[in-house]
Amino acid sequence: MPTADILIIGAGPAGLFAAYYTGVRGLRCILVDSLPHLGGQVAALYPEKFVYDVAGFPAVRGRELIKGLTAQALSADPEILLGEECSTLEERPDGTLRVTTTAGTEVTCGAVLITGGIGRFVPRPLPAVDVYVGEGIHRVVGPAEDYASHDVVIVGGGDSAVDWANMLAETARSVTLVHRRAAFTAHESSVAQLHESSVRIVMESEVADLIGGNEGVTHAEITHVKSGESHIVPVSVVIPALGHIASLGPLTNWGLSIKGRQIEVGTDMSTGRSMVYAAGDITDYPGKVRLMVVGFGEAATAVNNIAARLRPGEAVFPGHSSELMRPVAVGIGV
Amino acid sequence: MAYVITGECVGEMDGSCVDVCPVDCIYEGLEKRYINPNECIDCGACVTVCPVSAIFGPNDPQQPIWVDDNRAFFELPLPTRSEPIGDPGGGSSYGPVGVDTPLVAEQVAGA
Repeated sequence: MPTADILIIGAGPAGLFAAYYTGVRGLRCILVDSLPHLGGQVAALYPEKFVYDVAGFPAVRGRELIKGLTAQALSADPEILLGEECSTLEERPDGTLRVTTTAGTEVTCGAVLITGGIGRFVPRPLPAVDVYVGEGIHRVVGPAEDYASHDVVIVGGGDSAVDWANMLAETARSVTLVHRRAAFTAHESSVAQLHESSVRIVMESEVADLIGGNEGVTHAEITHVKSGESHIVPVSVVIPALGHIASLGPLTNWGLSIKGRQIEVGTDMSTGRSMVYAAGDITDYPGKVRLMVVGFGEAATAVNNIAARLRPGEAVFPGHSSELMRPVAVGIGV
Repeated sequence: MAYVITGECVGEMDGSCVDVCPVDCIYEGLEKRYINPNECIDCGACVTVCPVSAIFGPNDPQQPIWVDDNRAFFELPLPTRSEPIGDPGGGSSYGPVGVDTPLVAEQVAGA
């Protein structure tokens, strides 16, 4: 059972920077995120976008910023749990907190810092596929060679759908890409590659039904969204690639003061529940400005206040990093 | 503040915006889609995928009439309805609303 001084929930910019600060304070930290990667919303939604309002960086690409924040966070040697969503929070008799995740992990910690941004990401619903209980639905795509003997149907029109179609085009027995719109939203170059490939493209259509037996899915019924005309294609693997939707999820049941999509916090980022703090886009207070740079400040405020609470006698102010740390050549900004 | 879908959307109904919205805050009327201003998180993902450039940012002062109209879709009872939609928390799960605001209905009728 993992234990730590601080459990940080959400590994976006605010969570990564908070993890860094736990290192400055000599606190052990566990960093958890429902996504399978670090970097939260920036990495998931805008890795290629330039950000112009991070102090000290006139322009920085999302993925470069995350690379730098990750290197900074790893200096604190956090234990990282990815693809796990925190589901319950309880206070134990000795004053510590216990948080359980959907993967069954139980974390015991002195404090919880919620840097959950817009919430946890769950796959966008796809009715015909979601209700299918048999084998053959791959929500996580394996190595391309695993698909050599498979007829693959990929559903979606964004970057992941098109990238996976391109990746499997050469190796799978067949690849059919089904998209309910008239145009793809993926990168132009990926779409160009797709049109050059052997992938069968079915536009303005949906997977209306999956048919299968004990061996798993065998056929998909594909329906044109406008004409309503259907046809059946053989399929052994379906890859839903419609992206994710974010919502606050289980933490709305944690006894916090929640207003809309936000948790109300005090000036020290405390939530009102003992030893539970929040920082970043998920917080709200009078005058809140919902920007990444504000989240960085809140992360520092939260961790330093937590440190002083966990270790009575220690100051909230951590000292100046220029005096505490040796320079480390990492990522951007060096 | 929130992003706003303008009249360019009327009759388009492409729906790419719905596919990329990370919080599912875009709702389908009869001939146009609408962004719920209370549920939008100002990420701007919808702007770049719109095939008819119908979506504008929260600080674009050009078309205030559509700011009001997007809000009205959720906060006022739509024609044929007695209650406003409010903030249901997800356009996909809510499903097509099947009716537009009076402004849009008028535009469609006049077209």
